[in-house]
Amino acid sequence: MRRRAIAAALLALAVACATASAAEYVPMPGGRFASVLPADGKTAPAQVAPFALRTEPVTNAEFLAFVRRHPAWRRDRVPTVFADGRYLSQWAGPDTLGADALPAQPVTRVSWFAAQAYCASEHARLPSWYEWEMAAAADATRADARSDPAWRERVLDWYSRPSGHALPAIGGPPDLHGVRDLNGLVWEWVDDFNALLVGSDSRDQDGADKLKFCGAGAISMEQKENYATLMRIAMLSSLKATDTTANLGFRCARPIGETP
Amino acid sequence: MNRLLLLLCTLCLALPLHAADALPGDSVYQLPVTLTDQAGHAAPLAARRGQPQLVSMFYASCTMVCPMIIETMKATRHAAGDPAALKLLAVSFDPARDSVARLADYAGRHQLDPRWWTLARAEPAEVRPLAALLGVQYRQLPDGDFNHSSVLLLLDADGRVVARSTIIGRTDPDFVAAVRRLAGGRP
Amino acid sequence: MSTLLRTLLATASALAIAACSGKPDAATPTTGAAPPQAAAQSGIPGDFGPPQGAPIHAVLTSPPNVPPPIHRNYPAKVIVDLEVIEKEMPISEGVTYTYWTFGGTVPGSFIRVRQGDTVEFHLKNSPDSKMPHNIDLHGVTGPGGGAASSFTAPGHESQFTFKALNQGVYVYHCATAPVGMHIANGMYGLILVEPPEGMPKVDHEYYVMQGDFYTVGKYREKGHQAFDMDKAIDEKPTYVLFNGHEGALTGDKALTAKVGETVRLFVGNGGPNLVSSFHVIGEIFDTVRQEGGTVEQHNVQTTLIPSGGAAMVEFRTQVPGSYVLVDHSIFRAFNKGALGILKVDGPENKAIYSGKEVDSVYLGDRAEPNLHAVATAAKANAAGTLSKDDQIAAGKQLFTGTCSVCHQANGAGLPSVFPPLAKSDYVAKLAGKDKDALIAIPLHGLNGKVTVNGVEYDSVMPPMTQLTDDEVANILTYVLNSWDNPGGQVTKDEVTKVRATPAPAAGGEH
Repeated sequence: MRRRAIAAALLALAVACATASAAEYVPMPGGRFASVLPADGKTAPAQVAPFALRTEPVTNAEFLAFVRRHPAWRRDRVPTVFADGRYLSQWAGPDTLGADALPAQPVTRVSWFAAQAYCASEHARLPSWYEWEMAAAADATRADARSDPAWRERVLDWYSRPSGHALPAIGGPPDLHGVRDLNGLVWEWVDDFNALLVGSDSRDQDGADKLKFCGAGAISMEQKENYATLMRIAMLSSLKATDTTANLGFRCARPIGETP
Repeated sequence: MNRLLLLLCTLCLALPLHAADALPGDSVYQLPVTLTDQAGHAAPLAARRGQPQLVSMFYASCTMVCPMIIETMKATRHAAGDPAALKLLAVSFDPARDSVARLADYAGRHQLDPRWWTLARAEPAEVRPLAALLGVQYRQLPDGDFNHSSVLLLLDADGRVVARSTIIGRTDPDFVAAVRRLAGGRP
Repeated sequence: MSTLLRTLLATASALAIAACSGKPDAATPTTGAAPPQAAAQSGIPGDFGPPQGAPIHAVLTSPPNVPPPIHRNYPAKVIVDLEVIEKEMPISEGVTYTYWTFGGTVPGSFIRVRQGDTVEFHLKNSPDSKMPHNIDLHGVTGPGGGAASSFTAPGHESQFTFKALNQGVYVYHCATAPVGMHIANGMYGLILVEPPEGMPKVDHEYYVMQGDFYTVGKYREKGHQAFDMDKAIDEKPTYVLFNGHEGALTGDKALTAKVGETVRLFVGNGGPNLVSSFHVIGEIFDTVRQEGGTVEQHNVQTTLIPSGGAAMVEFRTQVPGSYVLVDHSIFRAFNKGALGILKVDGPENKAIYSGKEVDSVYLGDRAEPNLHAVATAAKANAAGTLSKDDQIAAGKQLFTGTCSVCHQANGAGLPSVFPPLAKSDYVAKLAGKDKDALIAIPLHGLNGKVTVNGVEYDSVMPPMTQLTDDEVANILTYVLNSWDNPGGQVTKDEVTKVRATPAPAAGGEH
């Protein structure tokens, strides 16, 4: 009953909040997945329900359209509890992109709250870490290419590129699922970024943060060799929800069957 | 989940209303989240505006650290001189198990005086934004327990974070001093 | 860990009592300068009480410079502002690498404080950074050496405070996962904690820090090189370097001193993997504070510096010349870059040293890379217009960078160690009747006895695998046309052909 009411509310919302652009989402199969963060902190695989993923990261142009529809998310109006001082600072103005922010570039310098709000406007949400990690394991022909050194090299190649240069536009080659740019363009927010309880001093194998983190302690890193993914986790776990950085963007996800 | 989407999407509409009462931009009351307390009363988080608050997150099934969080909140209030104005709020990040009845039972067992204590639950999809706002990390394990960080926050009357402590199991003198300064308890 | 946990549970049960005491902190700052030996209020050795006077902003210096000595007789609050910057810099001539740095240099900025100082540390991570970083200072007493308190996302700043309780020179480094990679990318430096009475005065203090680097491409392979995790795990570095770059301490950037002066080197080793056998060719260390500790050792030739460790070495210069800093695991010096120069000027002192000196030709003009001739030759080769003169000009540059280390810039070699190439009967013989064997020397190396100009040599020349066919052709053409050698020309195609044939068996004599 309650669900029905909410669905109705969402429909009503669609009128107010509908996006002009038609972002493309593709279905992702879900299933059991050997995450670098075991579900129980030891070895349990992650269970991922089928979901739909946005094929491309959100661009400057798309985020600009969002900000124009929802001026509360303009950089000059957003409350500081939702975004830090660098929020959208690469744009020429609060509702103009300018020369340093091309329309087809992925939007960066967005906080977790802003990313959440944007995804809500597409009747979506941020992907969970497991959803994101599972999607990013694919290459052009395999759903899980992580054991291939070439996959790792591609990820690491981006890490070793200095970040002083302008970001490329979205639209890299599609993977098996038709998703683009998961690796090699920007960092991406995930919904549960603050669930990646990695000790801030990563050498504490025994979880010195057991005090800080109740229960089973900080998550131990499985597959240490898969440090390409580990570095992404280190990055996400360093963030607060208001943080924005020059290399951090996002894409959205939806539960299967709830697309409007 | 849907409820969160609704809330976040309407945030843009809600904000100008808050702006009317000049809610500061750095106030946690900017977040439109609804809390239900141990007596079953539902109210927006922002309804707590007006009095200083000591805030943390916990869950009732937690046997080790969470009781210490609750005890540390108690002890902090006492060490600051039992200021009458100070309210204490602990929000569960386990809404699936922490029903109103369970919160009431927990408050009873830990002898939490309802005059200043609130144990609260939020809708599942609203818990993570609230935790993000408060800077609490948590993660549910397959067995239903949680890994989580422990933090106490001191909010001023307008919901701004004045002080923060990660010391649990004893009182943090700096934090106690901040509470005393803000809430004006007996020395 | 479990001890901590038990302590926590114990304190939890005592909570009510502890919390009720509510006494204000006893520590009240004293005024005026206390003598350095003032009894520690805390009873902890090295704690000279609360900081006095106005806070001081620490002077940070880039390598090889060291901040000036501290002339202060009281403990102070010292503020350190260190920014993490990820940047592309040359690691060798024509080779770039993306370094992660503390303060924009490798090693990171040198920090100097006094024992008993309260250090307020601000770690800033540049907004342009891709990675989060933190800092573990080996001079900090506390969990993780500050690492847990300093985990910092790009565009953010962390602050933590510690008291420098122990004197000595300490390594600091980034401890973010994967730790080895952050260190391998250059995230290390030194912090000196001076004793209260200061350090004995010397004429020069320098900052030198060794590190090993792991690139996908070979040693000196041109272009941008990415980090290679497999090589790092196998502990097979491509480069072993002082101060992060080949040539950081040679040519114009050599360390300098005058005859009769005292020199103190703060020598660190960031690792991530190798232990350094630090040696200065032609000097004996008068004093070594091994591992940065307080015990002085005297008359030391080579001192071990562990990865994540440091030492202070001191000596007085006696004779002018160029003194070569090496890791005496010597292939690292001559084949992976672990070389630096201390240039000592002043009058000769034949009474102490009268022999023929090794002069400063070690990578002489490397500090100002000039590969213009090499580029010209490469272009001409591609266009099919390469002349012998182009080859000689390019070969000269390449020879300076690669060959002169052993064979010397003037081709004279080193007596009884490295055979001469100048007016060499060996070169002439091969050039005349077995050119392929000549070409094979740089390609495959040369082991075993050879006789050159009547003198027998028995050394090992490793294969110069980093050189392209082009470059080998140019170097050989340069050698053939220099120093009264018979002349001639070697083409790229000839080199390609020889490279395709298997290496000859050991033993240089044909």
